[in-house]
Amino acid sequence: MQLFPCPFCGLREESEFHYGAEAGNVRPDAGFVSADQWSDYLHMRDNPKGATREIWVHLTCGEFFMMERDTVTHRVMGSTLLEDATHSA
Amino acid sequence: MRDHAAKWPPAPDWSTAKLDRGSISVRTIEGLSQLLVSGDLDAWATASGTASASVAGAVIASGNKYSARIARDRVLAVSATPFALATGWHDAGFAISRIDAGMHVFQVEGPGLNELLARAMTQPLVSSGPSASLLFAGINVVLYHFTSMQSVRIHVDRALAPYLWEWLEQSV
Repeated sequence: MQLFPCPFCGLREESEFHYGAEAGNVRPDAGFVSADQWSDYLHMRDNPKGATREIWVHLTCGEFFMMERDTVTHRVMGSTLLEDATHSA
Repeated sequence: MRDHAAKWPPAPDWSTAKLDRGSISVRTIEGLSQLLVSGDLDAWATASGTASASVAGAVIASGNKYSARIARDRVLAVSATPFALATGWHDAGFAISRIDAGMHVFQVEGPGLNELLARAMTQPLVSSGPSASLLFAGINVVLYHFTSMQSVRIHVDRALAPYLWEWLEQSV
């Protein structure tokens, strides 16, 4: 069982968490959005091998946060409350 | 027509159901007033007269009125007598929802408590941080020590109470 760090609760078992999305996938919000931009937003993911930044939710307390982890080693580098994180980077 | 009733045991009569296996006992606590409070928790503590420190993890609940922390901005307020505050939004900065009928409360106590918690949870309760909302036996509950380190109260969605009772019958 892996432990994930909730910014509010601290370390909790992984089954209390749910994956949300890749961080940085910002919804296109300009006056004109092309079909390619929508397609990229809806379907295309970077799916990096190694260090990644993801949005997760801690189901028991409802906290949404950004977690940095490694998809190869499963090492978790840290978590940040979503409103404090740089989501668009 | 198929008889599905035989697949699951009927829910016990909660007013009399009790497990007593020597090192641990389990019973239902009925009649508690339970509120979900969201928003400014300091304003809630002032208005309700509950302690500003919420119970969870290593913090032990005591007395007839207290708040168990669920999230950064939410508590489960518990009282042996009805709270005087009305449900709905309060201009002090918090909202109240009554959930008396929504959550069943078990009290588990005895010297074998830590062994039972170890079977139900990944981490020790004292290490679970500032939120009392956690997974216990695979389901989401609000769990905290009550009056001593050898006693806990478990608030569980009422629909899941028969499952948890069955789990406790097999595990205690």
